[in-house]
Amino acid sequence: MTDDANAKKEPAAEKVEAPLPPGQYGQFLKEHGINSERLADSCGVETISLDGSQLDAALRLLKSSSEIKLDLLLTVSGVDQIETFDSVYHLWSYSHTNELVVKVRVPKTAVKEGELPCVPTITGFWPAANWHERETYDLVGIRYSGHPYPRRILNPWDWDGHPLRRDYKQPVDALNDKNPHSMR
Amino acid sequence: MALELSRIEDLKTDEMIINMGPQHPATHGVLRLILTLDGEVVKHVEPVLGHLHRAQEWQGQNRTWFQYQALIDRVDYLSGMFTSWAMARACEQLDGTVVPKRAEYLRVMLSEMNRITSHLLWLGTYLIDLGAMFGFPFYPFREREKLFDLFEEVAGQRMMFNYIRIGGVLRDPKPEWFAQLKKFTDEFPDRIDEYEAIVTQNPIFLDRTKGVGILNKQLAMDYGVTGPCIRSSGVELDLRKTKPYSVYPELDFKTIVTDHDGDTWDRYMARILEMRESNKIIQQCMAQIPDGDIIVKKQTAGLRVKAGEGFAAVESPRGIIGCYVTSTGGEKPFRFRWRNPSFCNLSILPELLVGSPISDIMAIFGSIDIILPDVDR
Repeated sequence: MTDDANAKKEPAAEKVEAPLPPGQYGQFLKEHGINSERLADSCGVETISLDGSQLDAALRLLKSSSEIKLDLLLTVSGVDQIETFDSVYHLWSYSHTNELVVKVRVPKTAVKEGELPCVPTITGFWPAANWHERETYDLVGIRYSGHPYPRRILNPWDWDGHPLRRDYKQPVDALNDKNPHSMR
Repeated sequence: MALELSRIEDLKTDEMIINMGPQHPATHGVLRLILTLDGEVVKHVEPVLGHLHRAQEWQGQNRTWFQYQALIDRVDYLSGMFTSWAMARACEQLDGTVVPKRAEYLRVMLSEMNRITSHLLWLGTYLIDLGAMFGFPFYPFREREKLFDLFEEVAGQRMMFNYIRIGGVLRDPKPEWFAQLKKFTDEFPDRIDEYEAIVTQNPIFLDRTKGVGILNKQLAMDYGVTGPCIRSSGVELDLRKTKPYSVYPELDFKTIVTDHDGDTWDRYMARILEMRESNKIIQQCMAQIPDGDIIVKKQTAGLRVKAGEGFAAVESPRGIIGCYVTSTGGEKPFRFRWRNPSFCNLSILPELLVGSPISDIMAIFGSIDIILPDVDR
């Protein structure tokens, strides 16, 4: 399996201090004036990190360009890393087998006390992202600015906190120990 | 009191908001749909999810790898093999494990059996959704029971198998088991003929399904729909063919694309044909299965997965089920993320329902074949 061969190379790539040369998709975005940083491959799949302000333009391009055609958005996931909040986009295609992982990383130091990390939404041109973004907001607490309906999706609307955060404190009694603003 | 109206346009109608569910019998679980109706016609739909939310991803972060492995069959309880398989593949990618050939064949065989049981349940309940109260569901359930007996013998459980493990499978079936399965696969095509004789050209069934809930190809692609739903809209996306994994390249089968209109009848037909293909795959596996080990290393409770992150997906009966794992090499996963086909396919529902009469809601909803534990996790 080619995936395995690539996975073994990964630790070696991490030791190198110099930035990795852009891959196929990084190069494509660069040609269109979008800067991206290449991260270590995840199991042989090209992984790039983008600035939040360029996310919309980059994904629009990747989705609609006739040569690239990464038109299947598999999932939008939020990861509470040690130092950053990552919003991760897994892009596949309906017509070919290439994949791309796009990450938007918001450093925790840039998030003000009492506020949520903010990433622009892509729901405007990609409806598949709608529910995924709502879910990520609900569970990881990343706010997608410009989302048409930014409500919790899996937890009750008056739930306190975001359960997949590292610092989340579980309610002792989730049924009775409820949010004081709740009307339940 | 007689109401006299000179013209029908003078009739003032208010929009009405109706809650369908969460206890509605045809929502296959607890889904609530807030419907805005104009007379009989649906104007707006808002699905409310989360009634079955069991925090599967949270549990992934707070259980050891070994414990979590036993839990994930419950993500999609009708096709547990596929959730286990997605997780196993993601972890094997990180570890760089090469799974023994015999284990791969067993995985394919049991997964295809699982695909059949899942589609059989769908077939039975879908006919009830459409109002076929004459006992039809017992026909598919008869075959489903036979497969469950086979699952029970090899995995110890009828539905929550926990059979596919990281690095292989749990148990090697006995030779008698293969004989029983052979008997089943020989007679199963005749059974499908039986279902088809009752359903496929049934005039009532055709009335309820032909031209109902037409899923446009481009719309489906924008919403990330996968599985039989998108294949019946004419997109050839079947991971087993387009991005082959395991031993699927060694097997001969077709991708079912029913490219007529993308209506509910097409989605029905896609699943019927898929069952026939699955049956063929099982027969081929039984003929080709090699001898050998079934697992790389026997699992212990201290199971760990190498650091890194990976995404693996398999083609489940409902679409692409994916698993995004981040590991730091510790005893618990760092982050587990599921990509559930039901969740993504359900998001198309508001688009499909708008403009159709209330009596078609269950015909359309049922044809997407979602399963609520898979939506809510």
